[in-house]
Amino acid sequence: MKPPLLNLININKYFGDVHVLKDISFTIEQGEFLTLLGPSGCGKTTLLRCIAGLESVHSGDILLNGSSIKGIAPNKRNVNTVFQNYALFPHLNVYDNIAYGPRVKKSMKEAELKERVRDVLDLVQMLGYEKRMPHQLSGGQRQRIAIARALINEPAILLLDEPLGALDLKLRKHMQTELAHLQKKTGTTFVYVTHDQEEALNMSDRIVVIDQGKVQQLGSPRDIYNNPVNLFVTTFIGDRNIMQVEVLETKETHSKVKLGDNIVSIRNPKQHRLESGQAATLAIHMDKMRVSCDETPNALKAEVLSIHYAGSQIRMELKVDDKMITVVEYQKTDCECEIGDLVYVVWEDHGAILLPLEDSGVEREV
Amino acid sequence: MRLKARKFDTFYLSLFFVALYLPVLSVILYSFNASPSTAQWTGFTFDWYRMLFRDRVIVEAFKVSMEVALITSVLSAILGTASAVISMWVTDRMKSAIQGMMILPLLIPEVALGIALLIFFNALRLPFGHLTLVLSHSLFCVPYVYIMVQLRLKEIDRSILESARDLGATTWQTVRTVILPLVIPSIITASLLALAMSLDDVIISTYMSGPKTTTLPVHIFSMMRVGVTPKVNALCTLILVGMFIVVGLSQLFNKKQHKEDL
Repeated sequence: MKPPLLNLININKYFGDVHVLKDISFTIEQGEFLTLLGPSGCGKTTLLRCIAGLESVHSGDILLNGSSIKGIAPNKRNVNTVFQNYALFPHLNVYDNIAYGPRVKKSMKEAELKERVRDVLDLVQMLGYEKRMPHQLSGGQRQRIAIARALINEPAILLLDEPLGALDLKLRKHMQTELAHLQKKTGTTFVYVTHDQEEALNMSDRIVVIDQGKVQQLGSPRDIYNNPVNLFVTTFIGDRNIMQVEVLETKETHSKVKLGDNIVSIRNPKQHRLESGQAATLAIHMDKMRVSCDETPNALKAEVLSIHYAGSQIRMELKVDDKMITVVEYQKTDCECEIGDLVYVVWEDHGAILLPLEDSGVEREV
Repeated sequence: MRLKARKFDTFYLSLFFVALYLPVLSVILYSFNASPSTAQWTGFTFDWYRMLFRDRVIVEAFKVSMEVALITSVLSAILGTASAVISMWVTDRMKSAIQGMMILPLLIPEVALGIALLIFFNALRLPFGHLTLVLSHSLFCVPYVYIMVQLRLKEIDRSILESARDLGATTWQTVRTVILPLVIPSIITASLLALAMSLDDVIISTYMSGPKTTTLPVHIFSMMRVGVTPKVNALCTLILVGMFIVVGLSQLFNKKQHKEDL
């Protein structure tokens, strides 16, 4: 069997006494767009720097195409990084910036180099900018040059450290699409670091959710979004209403749970087994919920506390058994309710999930 | 009220600069005075300059000064830059140790430093002359280069150096293709400063001069024992002009450097 492109085996890393990477293991496949997603300070950038060789690991191993690159200096590794602030050489023009890698490695003749620079500039749609200096470029343009400068080396893996962080919202959205296109077009394996869940969900083939130096979950965006395996992922990805419930009865696909005097049926989590009588956490996406005026089966009784019209969406605060929840609707419902009304909240089956109660406390801040 | 305060500021500053530059102007003026006495102005002349260039000892001393200053500035540019670049990669404790030792020679009184060097070079049996002059001048010039280059290095974004490594550059290639081009304006400014400092040093040069190698300032100092001649005025005028050119050049490089945005 072909080995995976990159294999991380039990990576541990300390900064002084702080254990920043804890036993990280996963593999990266050829040609995929993999995102390391987590809150700031979770260790995702450190992990990226370990792959680049800019940080050393204390234990564990990193295999590229099956052979260890643990002790290899960054300039000898076939991976390239796009830094958050682009890190273009301020004294070199666009052409010389891009030509830097092949020149220091003496891997190409000048004529071939010229052609390759043209190719990568074409790839990032920056032809004609060869003579510009970095300070004459806008943030988005510098970003493209930084990517071109890395891609010309044909790295086995392109590492991107929050490359869109410094751009404004509109440009960021545009660059997301462009990056995803670029990745498919070149077939280069991308490892992308971000704290922005939307970016991660939009672009990635797979997402690794990291928190406190540990891999919390690894899966496709869809999987991560709909089937979070623990409370951290549940609260970090998407906006959910979190409620504590009691499990009454577990069946093959769904479980009956009790919240106050409501009894509803929720689909079972994939990774966990629930027992009857156990306390559990019920998490439902705010935008997968809907308010109904009529009594509906499998619904939560709620009292309307407030209604906000915010552009395309309607946000409603509701009280379910002394617990505040938020419902976001994108179109006007047939239910004309007012503050103080008694309504029924229903949801799409896959928008709700049950998790066993964790010791670490339900109200964890993210 | 504000207007009054402003008027006072202008008055004070004018007085200050007049007091500062009047003596300098008078030297220039008297170097063109036909009378050998400073007591009276008898007409304009270039005679003192002509006499100056005919004075073999002065021309010789000027040559020594220039040679020493040029070698000193190149040597201290190399040593100072190398120390600054190396101190980028050492631990913080090591770095402050390097910094402390760099600045120390500037704090030791020159009279004491001169004696120390005299004893030391004597013990090494080094012939007094160009070599001892260059070595001793470098001692107080290297720290200036170090400090100026280090300030510039601090401004360089670390990720620029990391990206050079990441793109395949060895440490030496990174130094040559990224670090040096970014700090070269500072190196030039600092070596021009070193040139100026070496050219006008008297105290240490007095100890270090050999029997046949006297620097210009040391020679002027000895000329003064027999009184101020207009020849000295002419010489000082030329030195002033030279210094203005050097300082002007270094300012020019400084400005150019700050235009580039890191």
